[in-house]
Formats: sequence, C-alpha cells, structure tokens
Amino acid sequence: MEEYQEQEYEFLRRLEEEKVGRKTLLKRGLVAGAGLTVMSLSPAALASRKKALADPPTIGRLAKLSDIVAAAKKEGKLNTIALPPDWANYGEIMSTFQAKYGIKITNDNPNGSSSEENAAIVALKGDPRAPDVVDVNPTFAVDGATKSLYAKYYTTNFRKVPRAMKDGRGFWVGDYWGAVSIGVSKSTVSNVPKTFADLLKPEYKGKVALNGSPLTSGSGRAGVVAAAIANGGSLGNTAPGIDWFAKLKAAGNWVPVPATPQTVASGQTPIVIDWDYLNLAYTKEFPSVKWVTNIPVDGVYGAHYAQAVNADAPHPWAARLWQEFLYSDQGQLLFLKGFSHPALFTDMVARKVVPNALIKALPDASLYAKVRFQSVKQGNDTKTVIKEQWPAKMGS
Amino acid sequence: MPGRRRRRSLAWLGVLPFFAYTTLFLILPSAQVMIGAFKGEAGGYTFGNIVDIVQTPNIRHAYRQSIEISLVTALAGGLLGLLIAYAAIREGTPRWIRSAFTTFSGVAANFGGIPLAFAFIATLGTVGIVTQFLTNVFGIDIYANGFSLFTKTGVELAYLYFQIPLMFLVIAPAVDGLRTEWREASANLGSSSFQYWWHIGLPVLFPSLLGAVILLFGNAFAAYATAYGLTASGLNLVPILIGADLRGNVYANPHEGQALAFGMFAVLAGMMLLYVPLQRRASRWAR
Amino acid sequence: MRRPRISLSAVVWLLVGAAYFMIPLLATFLFSVRDAQTGKCCSLGAYGVILHDPEFWTTIRLSFRLALETIVISLLLFVPTIYWVHLRLPRLRPVIGFMALIPFVVPPIILVVGLLGFFKDTLHAPFWYLGNPNYFLVTAYVILAFPYVFFSLDAGFRAIDVHTLTEASQSLGASWRTTLLRVILPNIKVAALSGAFLTLAIVMGEFTIATLSAFHTFPTYIQYINETQAYPAAAVSLMSFGITWAAMLSLLLIGRRRRVGAAVTIAEVGH
Repeated sequence: MEEYQEQEYEFLRRLEEEKVGRKTLLKRGLVAGAGLTVMSLSPAALASRKKALADPPTIGRLAKLSDIVAAAKKEGKLNTIALPPDWANYGEIMSTFQAKYGIKITNDNPNGSSSEENAAIVALKGDPRAPDVVDVNPTFAVDGATKSLYAKYYTTNFRKVPRAMKDGRGFWVGDYWGAVSIGVSKSTVSNVPKTFADLLKPEYKGKVALNGSPLTSGSGRAGVVAAAIANGGSLGNTAPGIDWFAKLKAAGNWVPVPATPQTVASGQTPIVIDWDYLNLAYTKEFPSVKWVTNIPVDGVYGAHYAQAVNADAPHPWAARLWQEFLYSDQGQLLFLKGFSHPALFTDMVARKVVPNALIKALPDASLYAKVRFQSVKQGNDTKTVIKEQWPAKMGS
Repeated sequence: MPGRRRRRSLAWLGVLPFFAYTTLFLILPSAQVMIGAFKGEAGGYTFGNIVDIVQTPNIRHAYRQSIEISLVTALAGGLLGLLIAYAAIREGTPRWIRSAFTTFSGVAANFGGIPLAFAFIATLGTVGIVTQFLTNVFGIDIYANGFSLFTKTGVELAYLYFQIPLMFLVIAPAVDGLRTEWREASANLGSSSFQYWWHIGLPVLFPSLLGAVILLFGNAFAAYATAYGLTASGLNLVPILIGADLRGNVYANPHEGQALAFGMFAVLAGMMLLYVPLQRRASRWAR
Repeated sequence: MRRPRISLSAVVWLLVGAAYFMIPLLATFLFSVRDAQTGKCCSLGAYGVILHDPEFWTTIRLSFRLALETIVISLLLFVPTIYWVHLRLPRLRPVIGFMALIPFVVPPIILVVGLLGFFKDTLHAPFWYLGNPNYFLVTAYVILAFPYVFFSLDAGFRAIDVHTLTEASQSLGASWRTTLLRVILPNIKVAALSGAFLTLAIVMGEFTIATLSAFHTFPTYIQYINETQAYPAAAVSLMSFGITWAAMLSLLLIGRRRRVGAAVTIAEVGH
C-alpha cells in the first residue's frame, strides 16, 4: 500500500516536471522561429509564469515559495475554522502567520467540531466566507476526501511526513498528534490520579469529565478508546471503554459536563480526560487551579489531526501558503511549543533543530513511543460502536 | 358603485409592503420547512421522514424531555408567578412593590439565553457561589447528594428564571380584575381563604391562568439559547437536535432536520389552538 | 379608615420572588470579581479582559448597529401599515393580529431552518445577501420584532382618534406625508419608542439565528467567552444584563403612562 503511494507521488512529480519543460521548450522554439530570439525570453517567461500562477499548484515543491507568497498576499485574506487559540498553540501560529505575510486570518467558530468543519465547506460552497483550510480528525479527513471536499496539495515537506499520517493522493496531511492524558487540578484534588484504574476511586466523586460527548467529539472518542485499551480492549475493540465509563458513572465520579477551558478555570471539572496538548496548556493558562498532566500508563492511545485545503477555497493561494507555513520548521516548532507532537518531529530531532527546552516540556518520550494510530476501519468501527452503545449505557 | 370599489382596491396597496415582507421572510420560509419535512430524498413526497424520527429512540427521548421540561417549568412557573403576582398586587401591599416587581419582571423575562446560562453556572455550578455557600456554611454538598446543574433539573431551574417573571407580567392584569369586594364579601360571609380561592378566585382566573401556562409552555419548548449555554448539545432536547443538525449535518437526509422542526411546529400549533379561544374567554373578565 | 396592612403570606412570597431574582445576579457578580491568579476575591481583572478584547467591541458594535437597522426598518414598515389599517381597513386588524401570533408557532429555531433552506437552497440567493449580517440577520430580526412592535403600535393607535386627526389635517390642506409625519407620528411617539426599545433588547440578546447562520454578534461572543474563560464570562454576562436593564428602564421612563404589558412579550425571544 505504501509502495504504491510512493510510486504515485514520484510519477506525478515527474509528470509535472516534464510538462513544464515541454511548454517552455515549445514557447522558446516558436518565438525563436519568429525571429525574436533576444527579446523572447523575458515576455515569454513572464507569460508562461503568469499562466502557471493563474492555477494554484498541486505540488508545493515545484512552485517557488516567493510566487506563492506573492499570490497569497494579493488575495490578502485567509478563512480558517474551528481553531481555538489555545489548541496546540494555534493562537500564536495564526498571529505569527498574519504578522509574517500581512494576510488577515478570519477564524470562524473557534470551538467547532470536525464534523462542523466539513459541514461548513458544504454549506458555504461558493460563499466568500467559506473556510479555506480545515484541521480535522482522521475519520472526517477520509470522509471529506471521499466526498471531494478537498483539493489535492502536496506540501513541500510532504515526503517527510510519516506514512501513517498522510493521504497518498494528497487530499490531507497529518499536522500534529498527541496522546490521551489525565489533567488534574491540584487545588481541588490532593491525591492526583495517574491511571484509568485510579479514576474509579471514590475520592474522585463528581470530578471526572471528558472534552465533549464521544458521540460528536473526536477527543471524547479518544478518551473512550484509551479507556478501552486500559481495560482489555484494543484499537479495534472499543466496547470495554464504554463499559469503563459506565462504571465511572455508576461510581458517581462522572461529570456529564463537556470540559472547556472555562470549566477547567472555574474548577467545575477538576479532572479532565483530554489530549495531552490541551491539558498541558492549561497549566500556564490558569495558574489558580494548579493543573498537572499525566499520560495514563495503562491506556496509551494517540491520534493525529489532518490539514486539508478546501477544493472550492475562496483564497486558494493563501490556503497553500498556510500549509507551507505549517509544515515549515517555524510552523512545526510552534506546534511543539503548544505541547503537541508535530508531524515532522522525528525529522526535526534528527536534524537537531528542536530546542531542548521544548522537548523537556513534554511528558516522558517512552510513553509516546507506545502510541499507534487507528486505521480508517478501526476509526469507523469505534464510531459505530459508540453510536450504538454510548446512549444506552451512559444515558443522555 | 365603481367609485367605492376603486377606493377600496387602492387602499389595499397601502398594506402591500407589509404583506410582501411577511410573505417573503416569514410565510415562505415557514412553508419551506413544513413542506420540506414531507419531501423524499430522491424527490417526491413521503411520510418517511416523520416515520424515521418517530422510530428513532434518541429523537423520541428528545421530544419527551422537551415536553417534560416545558410542562414542569410552565406549571411551576405558573404557580409561583401567580403567587408572587397576587402577593404584589393584592390589597395591603404598597404600590411601589408592585411597580418594582413589574419593572424587574420586564428585565428578568428578557434576561435569558447565554448570559442566563452562565449566571446559573456561577450560582449553582460545581464551584458556584451558592454551591460553595451551602458547603461551607451548612456543610451540605449538593453535588455529592446527586444534584447537577447540567441535567434536566438544572435546565428547569434556569428556565424558571424567565418563566416566573413572564407569568407575573401576563397574569397581573387578570389578578387586577379580582375585585377586592369579592374577597371582603366572602370573608364577611364566613368563608376561609381556601374557600375563597376554590369557589371564586380560581374559577375567575382560570381562562387567563390556562392561557398563561400555555404561553409559558411554548416559551420553554422553543428555547434554544439557554439550554445550549448550559449543556452545549449535551442534553437531548428538540431545539438542540435541530441546532446540531444545522451545524454539523448530523442527518444524512436534510429533510430529517426539517421533519424535526415540523414536529416542534405541530406541538406549538396544538398549543396555539388551545390558547386563542382561552384568550377570548379571559378578556371577558379583564376590565 | 386605616389602610390595610400587607399580609404575612404576601411578604413570604415577595421575599421568595426577590431572592430567586437577585441571587443569580449577585452570584454572577461575585464570580466576576474573582482574581484569576488565586481564584478568590477580589479583582476587576475579568472586566479588563473583556474591555481590552477587540472582538468585544467589534461584536457589540455590530449588534447595536443591527438593532438600529432593525428598528428603522420595522418602524418604516409597520407604522404606515398599522396607520393605514386603522384608518381605512379596520377589518384587516384581526388578520394582522393573527399573523403577529405566527412567530409563536415558528420560533427562532424553526425560522432559521426555514430562512436558510428557503434563501440558500430554494432561491439560491446571492452571497452579498446571505453572508452579510446587515441584510440576512436584519430581515430576520424584523420578523422577530414584528409581534412586539405590532402590539405596541396597535395600542398606541387605538389610544388616539386616527380618523379625526387625519380628516382635520387634510381639511387644512396637508398632504399624506405631512399628515403622517407631523400629525400622526408625534401622537404615537410613546408607542413607537416602546417598540424600539423592545426591539433593541431583542436584537442585543438574539443568539439562535445568529449562531446557526454563522455570524459573529454580541451574544455569540458571550457564548465563546463562556466556553473559554471563567471569570470574564461572568463579567460579560453581567454587562449583557446591564444593557437589557438599560433598555427596559428607558422603556419604563418613556412609557410612564402606559402599562408595561408590552414588555411581557419579549420574553420568548432570545431563549
């Protein structure tokens, strides 16, 4: 499967190269034939370049970054959706992008879900307010590609992204990943729970929450899968996770409040099962609750999110510039600063471009080494099982 | 008489803008929903969408919960609103109290939606002021005893905040109509307070009371913002389901969402059919 | 004769009512002055966070502007209509009165489904209409305000003698325009202002239609803060309450003579 993807990418790349070569040759030949050899190069080159700029590129590596920047600046705007500023440091990413290129970002529905992102692409088709780029969880990325919502775009660093985190056809690319963690407020909870087994203890009555209902929220679903792994299940067997939550509810420890930064800050959800990058960010954001984060050793589960460009993007060049920025070292390090593992993490570590302080800020690497992503089928199975069993066992 | 007919037809022109506007922005969009609910995915008309939503347990549960919450807050709000209105308006209470309560009811009835949801979180949330007060001063931890703001009960408590004032404002004119002479006469004839209410007060107020309760029911049933602010799609209510469908295309078939909306409309229209004749009867007493 | 004294049961219920109204407001206030660092009293930092947020100013300005536009269009549409109905087509009054009850069976949550479906899917309306809150939202808000503006204006027109005023004005040679502007309007000023303030309160608090058609107004901003910040959420909720209160107070002051029965009806909207 991976071989085929590799080959396809190489084939497309060479095709692009050949095309350009042929066109230029043809033009030069014609112009030379018309006897305008000396003056041929500049206007012809300009004309051919202008034509190339009219259609946004599919392969980032073959376009000049300065061309993309220029065209994007001409568009002047970028529409993003569902990017909370404190999610994997998107706040700083967006402000850095805006300052660097002078392109204004309009971020719609910051607390929206992945399904809302895809729905917005459909609902706002043709509308200048439509999102240019989306950041969705893998099942929705595959879904969006199937429904032809996305444009093909291979970022310059596409080859360096791990195979498990990208779509060979170029419709989406994983941008960062994280693991399920347990965040705890030390100002409310004196004895910090570190594993799923711990959370069932009676001292945590009415304190444990998820980041949203697993029926609709990707991180909620991840919490269930992690619980499944901790209780005899696996990536392909989610039911034990639902049973564990039912046990949590029966013990009286479960709080049906979706955890948000607000509920963390106000102390409403003193224990939150959520992505590590979210929990780790709360420590600095809300000092009054003394937030600490641990990856549960009994249930290690991680997943990535995926970038995609809207096939009908109102600002296609700005969208591609955004992708280039995110996958540049600068962009990836900003993701790391937000406590997530950027897609190019291994590559950057090998090239020694990662500041030590950032690595130290993350939990122990040995735990992360255990992380395996779900396959598409496993992801869809999880969704089905949760849809069937969660309302019945957990009530609504 | 041709002259009169011409004048009459010209007169209709004067209201044309109004009817054009309401047709375009109210009637036709409403029709879109009502008719769309019966459209099949492949075209043509069908009852299939309605059948689908009736057969889905989750949706049935949402209707049940919505109706239950609306009923509870309408009756509780109705009773409390009546008691407070009577207390404020009756003989013996200084006039300024009635003015104050009327003003405040006007504001509180309008303080709904998102800000109200947060006000209740600040009051009765897990770290709310009242929650902590009860724990620190009386040693009662309501959350340990099973209470939670983010359930049906919490939503009902929050709804009461605008239901009671609404009841106050709606029932005040009717309570006004209860002549003090009747109360005095009944006392003179030796009847107790209870007998007064049972034989005179409630029968006179009945049409207004029922109308007001129906109004409150419709008000709670259609509420979206307050429920969303408290539970953010966590609680299974019909407006929340409709909202979720609009945001995330939860149902593959767009007509299912319209069918949900049609179901709501049917409930509200049923209420309306009861309300209008009651209002007419109630106006008999208001003088 | 001695004035009758307030009864004990009345005192009890009034205190219960007062407590139920006041406590959440007090709690919100206490919550809003908690310090972000320590989680305890007292600091105005939460208010500072809101007031320094540019998004706060953008959205509150937008909501205010939408309210003004809604008021203008509503009055432009309904004042002449109701005047005309009172003057020439009295049999239409119950018809319009009935139409004013339609928003009760088509509340905002249903109306937004209909508006989006009708204008986007059926009419394929252009994006300068669908994407601009000054067009899409305002046209919807005029419908939301319609029952309340109608009841206010209707009461106002009933209180004056439309026929006499009109005939007198016209017999003195005034045109329709002059009659409407300089004779009728001053007489229904109170009713019109009542309707205007009710509309202001409605639009400043409307969440459902705004959020489901993807616009950024003040109520959607409050919800965003509700989800992301703790103490500033209490601060902005209180500010929103303050705005409603100011609108209603203005209503009361200008409507001194008339019963605040019209205030009743706004309750439904915004929930």
